[in-house]
Amino acid sequence: MSIKIRMRGKSKGGVAEVKALIKHPMESGVRMNKKTGKPFPAKFIDTVTVTVNGAAAVDSQWSGAVSANPYMAIKVNANSGDEVKLALTDNTGATGEASLKLK
Amino acid sequence: MKRRVFLKNTIATGAAVVAANAGLLTPTTVLADWNKDAFSAKSTGDALNSVFGSSATAASGDIKLKAPAIAENGAVTPVTVDATAMSGVESIAILASKNPVPLVCTYSFSGAALGYASTRIKMGETMNVIAVVKADGKLYQAEQEVKVTIGGCGG
Repeated sequence: MSIKIRMRGKSKGGVAEVKALIKHPMESGVRMNKKTGKPFPAKFIDTVTVTVNGAAAVDSQWSGAVSANPYMAIKVNANSGDEVKLALTDNTGATGEASLKLK
Repeated sequence: MKRRVFLKNTIATGAAVVAANAGLLTPTTVLADWNKDAFSAKSTGDALNSVFGSSATAASGDIKLKAPAIAENGAVTPVTVDATAMSGVESIAILASKNPVPLVCTYSFSGAALGYASTRIKMGETMNVIAVVKADGKLYQAEQEVKVTIGGCGG
């Protein structure tokens, strides 16, 4: 099942702030399940890449300490109409992808 | 009746094609492997050593680190690192000093990207949020204490 991502971005004076909201539990693997006394298995997004018009821009690595349902915002040099694409993978191999044409 | 079945089938195959495409389209660029050493390091120094190869940082006023002075809920602490005032920013790392694994996330920039990252992190207790920025091959640091009233790492 792919990971759900909502993206928004607007270019202003050649600089665009791109925001993304990702639906993901971000389970760190440390939190205990009180009923069983064992930790909940880790499930968190570990790599996120952002490309602008197909060229790599941001390469990000996360740990389980990023909040559940992560929010991320970055800034890129881009004009309206440019395509920004976000791809991510979690530690269990699930992937998600979203792209956006800047306003 | 037949029309229903036909519709059902086309929808099913359609979904399969979409899934296959998604598989084919996943990152065309080669991803750097997830830095396991850095993300299992138990101290900020060790984490920085494995991310940047050094833990010698200089304080810099050009890094704008925005985090709340008091976080009511440590599980969602908004943190923004703005290093756009600096030139040659290569990467940013965000650490929470007293978390079991201090390193929270790293961002490396290339091409069109600017040195700016905003995210939300989990914090177990009152501690410092540290932003380390690598610019022109040197490490710069800014930190801020965040008081946490409810921890975000327990069950």
